[in-house]
Amino acid sequence: MSNSNIGLVISLLIIGAGLVWLLIRSLQGKEVERRIIFLFIGLSVSVPLLFNITFSEKATPIVRAVFDKIENLPEGSRILLSFDYGPTMAPEVEPMSDVMIRHVLAKGHKLYLMGLWATGQSLGSAAVERIIKNDFPNMVDGVDYVNIGYKAGNQGVLNVIVTDFRKLYSTDVNGRDLDSLPIFNDIKSLKDMDLLISVGGGFPGVKEWVQFAGDPGNVPTAGGCAAVSAPLLYPYYPSQLLGLLGGIKGAAEYESEFKKRYKQFGDMPEPGVKMMGPQTLAHLVIMAFIVIGNLSFFFAGKGRRK
Amino acid sequence: MRQKLIIIMCLLFIPALAAGQESVITADSSLVDTITVVPPAPVTDLIAYDKNNDHGHAIILKWTPSADDGAGKKNVLGYSIHRSLSPNGPFEERGIAAAGDASYNDVGSKERESADYMADHVDYYYKVRTLTADESVYADSEVVGPVQSYGQWFNTDRWMVLIFVIGFMAIMIFMINKARRGAKLFVRRLAGIEAVDEAIGRATEMGKPILYVLGLGTAAEIATIASFTILGRVAKKVAEYQTGLIVPCYDPIVMTVAQETVKASYMDAGRPDSYDEDMVYFVTQSQFAYVAAVNGVMLRELPATNIYMGKFFAESLILAETGALAGSIQIAGTDEIAQIPFFVVACDYTLIGEELYAASAYLGREPVLLGSLKAQDYAKAAVMVIAVIGFITIHFGWDTFVEWFHVAN
Amino acid sequence: MENSKKISIIVFAGVIVLFFVSWISKTSGFQSTGLPFGASVRDGFLITLAAFLTLAIISFLYKDNPYYKFAEHLFVGVSAAYWMCVGFWSTFVGNFIPKVSSTLSGFFEVPYKGFDIFYFVPLILGIMLLMRLSSKVGWVSRWSLAFIVGTTAGLNLIRYMRSDFISQVSNTFVPLLVEWQGTGHFFSNFNLSISGQFVMMLGNWVIFIGVFCGIIYFFFSKEHTGFFGAASKLGIWILMVTFGASFGYTVMGRVSLLVGRLTFLFRDWLGLIN
Repeated sequence: MSNSNIGLVISLLIIGAGLVWLLIRSLQGKEVERRIIFLFIGLSVSVPLLFNITFSEKATPIVRAVFDKIENLPEGSRILLSFDYGPTMAPEVEPMSDVMIRHVLAKGHKLYLMGLWATGQSLGSAAVERIIKNDFPNMVDGVDYVNIGYKAGNQGVLNVIVTDFRKLYSTDVNGRDLDSLPIFNDIKSLKDMDLLISVGGGFPGVKEWVQFAGDPGNVPTAGGCAAVSAPLLYPYYPSQLLGLLGGIKGAAEYESEFKKRYKQFGDMPEPGVKMMGPQTLAHLVIMAFIVIGNLSFFFAGKGRRK
Repeated sequence: MRQKLIIIMCLLFIPALAAGQESVITADSSLVDTITVVPPAPVTDLIAYDKNNDHGHAIILKWTPSADDGAGKKNVLGYSIHRSLSPNGPFEERGIAAAGDASYNDVGSKERESADYMADHVDYYYKVRTLTADESVYADSEVVGPVQSYGQWFNTDRWMVLIFVIGFMAIMIFMINKARRGAKLFVRRLAGIEAVDEAIGRATEMGKPILYVLGLGTAAEIATIASFTILGRVAKKVAEYQTGLIVPCYDPIVMTVAQETVKASYMDAGRPDSYDEDMVYFVTQSQFAYVAAVNGVMLRELPATNIYMGKFFAESLILAETGALAGSIQIAGTDEIAQIPFFVVACDYTLIGEELYAASAYLGREPVLLGSLKAQDYAKAAVMVIAVIGFITIHFGWDTFVEWFHVAN
Repeated sequence: MENSKKISIIVFAGVIVLFFVSWISKTSGFQSTGLPFGASVRDGFLITLAAFLTLAIISFLYKDNPYYKFAEHLFVGVSAAYWMCVGFWSTFVGNFIPKVSSTLSGFFEVPYKGFDIFYFVPLILGIMLLMRLSSKVGWVSRWSLAFIVGTTAGLNLIRYMRSDFISQVSNTFVPLLVEWQGTGHFFSNFNLSISGQFVMMLGNWVIFIGVFCGIIYFFFSKEHTGFFGAASKLGIWILMVTFGASFGYTVMGRVSLLVGRLTFLFRDWLGLIN
């Protein structure tokens, strides 16, 4: 029996027994200490992490739309990826940006990195070191990819670069003139991009990219966002937002789709898929809490009425 | 000796043979090239015109692809677009279009200093060159022109946006003026607002204070402005019933406005002496430090009623949960959609999104608020009608109506 | 000495000892991978500090305590200072200086973009905004505020009208009968696949009815009685389903952050997982 299966059995036994105990206690009308709830959540997240419990993922249409767009663009297409998040949101959205960078470069497209958040610039640079320099050592900065960094102004930045990049950006993060970079030949504005991708979850984020760049510039726009923001972005799908990776689930789906199609990346880390194990168990536990809470409310209410 | 000579001759002959092979191979390949690359048919029906609905510096070219593009000789690799200031040249290459393409956008820069500057109101002449595998073999189309680029004042693709903006503003101005003239504009009752009065009564009976949280917005945000109106109403009732009121503030400007609002309410209720400036105080502008402080107030003062009206973010559930723990009745209202689920779960009454603005219009009866609310209602009615018409037209295939609402550029 | 004080001192001593034990072990771990001593000490300290601050924040779940307070105040202070620095370097040095002074641009090592007198307008408006700190001349800041509110409203009005109003109205033009070829064809080809006729039709019906009834719920000019009341009730039900989904998504988001933190603790700090 593999480690993962042992872990799954142990966690289901411990957590299952605990939930039964909780149910009995609740039905008896006894209060459940909130720290017990915290302990359950902690266990349901820790055990899958320690025993590497994972589940297979299948891309849903809203995620596949983004994947297919990058896949079907002709080689050499221009794809802009904006890092619109900070370190607090990184555990959730960084897996998305990592796998999309791999996909874009594996497909032979040109990658343009930027950020509407100040923290986005350093996160973009870290992604270059972590992903591009490791997995694509032959890619040349300024020819195959470029990081133009952050400019203050939130959606005002988009308002400007949708007509002219050089009004705000004159150099990349390394101080090189954009006009000296082959990757910026024939690039005047966002309208010269073949796809815009915003990864983030706050303001400014995917919504601002749709409103100030995608819609007015008529450029296909996709997004990856924190789970909190995802429901607010669904109204834009599919006409204004061609696809959306919502939370870590979206990242996991994209990773599994990418690995299926690009077998040479079989060894690539899958933080999204790995995080779905603890997610699944935690969600099951929370669902059990909701059921237990409602049952105890119903039966305790009946008891009170008697 | 003779044998040695033969061997030497053979050794000398081998390189000559190889060279001969090469030249034979070369001769063969050049013969092959000469045979395959012939001039293709040029493109036809070439037209050039100014790109519409832009700020200028762009010209669109369209043509019928070469007869040998994917058919006939099948030797077309692509097209290069050439531009000149005169019909006789010299022409400069502006870009490349792939085989099969039938159009090209020649876009230049509007900056004079740029190398790619393309002046407006200048005559340009274009030709399209059909390319093959051999650079020296191509076919030029006829030269078209003169054509000038220029910007447009109005983007006619956005006419629907203009209609809606003008229409909405017209209705709003009309309704605001109507409200100012004293017309009675009906706003339906809201359960959350009715609950405020009950909650204030409850607090008075229990002898406990009311906690009013204005949220984390600035004084310029609509949700905070709506909250001031509701605070005014709450403060007036509190003054009448002589109940306690606690208003911890996140923003210093919000605090000053809230102090003025509460003071004015106490004066209206005829109890100016009961007003205490310490009721409304500034805590901190750090999100979670503010929440920690408000939680502390809830657990120490044990208010009977907590009212959360304004802009809230990640701290919303922490606030509402602590309030529930303290046993308070909770009424919330926010336009932050992401936080509404938490308030709905943890509070007794929740004003969802626009209900917060409606509540402030309902309570304050200010003409601007009332007029705006009514105008929004008309806009909603228009949306419902348009949605029904759209649903009908899409089933009958009347695409024109559907296209009207597709803003292309 | 009181018992609680004794316990506090023992706990504090334990925390200090554990901190140093962790620091030393992480340092030796980094050294064994070939990292120079100085870098190993630095990285060992940073990882240990990050782990201890994480645990300090998590300790709040048990009870409010001085370690949590320390970590929270540290976070508040550092983030305030960080954003102040970012604001200075990105807005002032990044946007303003390159447009007003070549000398200052050289000093701050940013490319000079040519003098533009219009950039003094936001400088003056910004100074006026700071006047709100004074009670005597605080009224001056209202002009800047009015400018900000006015331009934001003007900028946003068109964008929102286009993206959030007209485009959304256009998105509700969905066919309620998808690929309709009669009831016989519908029932004979019935399946629950996501791209199947039934699911697509169901989705379109939900969108249309949901939008219609949701708008009715937010209609304030008529009392919600009769058909209007029924539609409004359906609207609020649909809204609640949406809020439930949003709640679930937020739970997923928060759990993701917890998983991220625990991954850091188990992998980077304790080395229990790869």
